[in-house]
Amino acid sequence: MKMNTTDPAAHPEQVLYSRCTVDLSNGQQTIEDVPCRNLEDVLGGFGRSFQDLAQRRIESAYCDENPLIVNTGLLTGSTAMTGMRTYFSSYSPIKGSKKGLPAAMWSAGSGKFGAKFKWTGLDELVIENRSPQPVYVVITATDTGPQIELRSAEHLLGLSTHDKIMALSKEYDNAHFAVIGQAGENWENVYMGAVALSTENQLKSGEDKCRFAGRGGMGSIMGYKNVVALVAQCNDKIKPVSAEVKKVNLNVIKGGGAARLQPIRRGGGGGTWAAYDVLQAFHAVPVNNFRPQGNDIPEKLFRENVEKDYFIESQACYRCGITCHNNISEKNADGSRGEFLAKFDYEPLNLLGTNIGIHEAGQAARLIQLSDNYGMDAISLGVTISYALAYNERHGDQPILNGAQFGDYEKIRQLIIQAGEGRLPEIGCGSMRLSQQMGETDYAYHVKGLELAAYQPESNPGYAWAIAGGHMSMGTYGLLTREGKTDVDSWVKGITEDKLHIVGFDMIGLCKFFDINNGIGTQMVVDCLRSEFGFEIDAQSIRAAVRRAFLLGLALELRQGYEKNEFALPAEVHKNPNPHIKLSNITSEQFFAQLEQRVWEIFDPELEELLK
Amino acid sequence: MAIIITVKLVGVFRIDRFKEQSYPLPCGSRAVDVIEALNLSRRLLGIILINGAHASENDQLQSGDCLTLMPLIEGG
Ligand code: SF4
Repeated sequence: MKMNTTDPAAHPEQVLYSRCTVDLSNGQQTIEDVPCRNLEDVLGGFGRSFQDLAQRRIESAYCDENPLIVNTGLLTGSTAMTGMRTYFSSYSPIKGSKKGLPAAMWSAGSGKFGAKFKWTGLDELVIENRSPQPVYVVITATDTGPQIELRSAEHLLGLSTHDKIMALSKEYDNAHFAVIGQAGENWENVYMGAVALSTENQLKSGEDKCRFAGRGGMGSIMGYKNVVALVAQCNDKIKPVSAEVKKVNLNVIKGGGAARLQPIRRGGGGGTWAAYDVLQAFHAVPVNNFRPQGNDIPEKLFRENVEKDYFIESQACYRCGITCHNNISEKNADGSRGEFLAKFDYEPLNLLGTNIGIHEAGQAARLIQLSDNYGMDAISLGVTISYALAYNERHGDQPILNGAQFGDYEKIRQLIIQAGEGRLPEIGCGSMRLSQQMGETDYAYHVKGLELAAYQPESNPGYAWAIAGGHMSMGTYGLLTREGKTDVDSWVKGITEDKLHIVGFDMIGLCKFFDINNGIGTQMVVDCLRSEFGFEIDAQSIRAAVRRAFLLGLALELRQGYEKNEFALPAEVHKNPNPHIKLSNITSEQFFAQLEQRVWEIFDPELEELLK
Repeated sequence: MAIIITVKLVGVFRIDRFKEQSYPLPCGSRAVDVIEALNLSRRLLGIILINGAHASENDQLQSGDCLTLMPLIEGG
């Protein structure tokens, strides 16, 4: 980026970002320095891409006019801790309104690809149309700026995400990769394709330790465009860490909310996996398609029980001191580490474990690994499978698919393989479509077409206003569980003021664990921006930009045909309240109706302008 | 005068401590007294429940109360 001002809030046009537009139909490309329209453009990520998506009227995700926008955030590749994010934005094949229009969507991932992409000198790659042959895109840094080439990807077809990355790493030194798996290649029948991003650890160890931009089917969009991989090749360009940023980074590790995510041996909470213990205390760990049973079955996947038989290791993304990953491997007889299985984050572990009746850690790990290798979003996949299993439980005499039941590891494994290979569109196209096909939509745990993360909707009515999937674009998931808020006022304030700010992380290039409770409108971020770019900007201006970006996301949903009644929780939650969940009931129809009215009263006037 | 409460610990707080235990305390004790006596990390402490209801560190405990202390992991 070119920064010709110290005041990007007042003079965003004096900040220019480097954008390459590639037309896959003819290979033509344009590289230009584009002046920012506003602070959202400067911050980057979906704050910029959604403004561009808003300029297009797209009626089907799989059409030539639907672009794939790959970009980074202002702090991607910087010295600020967690500055690793890459964003993929497009109209989504999986998230869409009942009118049949696709929703604008972004997905974010860590790994080192984002930093390498930024260091090539490019800030944004806009991929237009589709290629007649499978290709991959190589972005390299040259003395005259970034250079972009398309190369034949025939040799990569049919490989898993991990194998594609390892094959490319043999061809390209000093590079990182963003690839799709077989799921993305089979985009016609798989709407939940993810993009896998390579990590340092993966390239060094040869183990499949990718990170994923999973949500919304951005890997399927890549597949539709016939782009199998992106390669970013250049030297690392990390600057020395200034005293100011060093202080912030220390605060992130020691003082901020991230302390809870650190390894137990460092006095932390042990990563997101630890949510199991806390939610189980309320009987709010999803079990068998989001129906906790008030028993201790989720405890089988508690860390203390898993580490008896498996080897658990804490690891981190490149240069991140938070170290939030828990990698699970087989344990050898002498206690040493055996074969690597998968990364245990709370979401995939629950949704491909307890929530589908799998309570053995090794089996859950193998299913996660399978989902990762095929390149599917583990959240959408797990929830669509749990819908099918719940259907089979209700209709024992006429089950669907292969008749799999909760806990039936082999049959569930087959479902994942078939879905990943594009042979099972019933699973590959997500729970909304499957439930419509079966005529039983009440039990499908999605909101607006995107499957829920592993937090019971009973604990989070805010899900309805999340603009890019459950917990990561509406931070209200702890409002009841952690803060004990049961009054409508607190929920209205949470949804319309404080908790929407979680999306700021998907603009600026930082991981949410940088400061998950406070967002990016903080002194910590102000200090990083001053130190990295000499920017003089206040926290309020940043917060205002994040709010505008969130509202644009909401406006785009309405423009793509969502009715207000689609901003809703799965109907089973209201129609058959779960008596086992030990939390106050804040999802009665009456509570939700009040919430809806009050939330829209606040959002509607602000949206009016954006919808013109 | 002393009171007896039940203390339940969740997640990492159980390591080298206990899962559930009867706990005698002087009359007038508050949740914070238990947190300090057990040397629980304040950085990790996320949720305090007294008899299943969300409470704060300064809430006073009565004999027979059940105090649950949990860490909290955000998101992910
Ligand atoms: S907090 Fe976790 S996911 Fe985020 S950058 Fe650090 S190690 Fe990676």
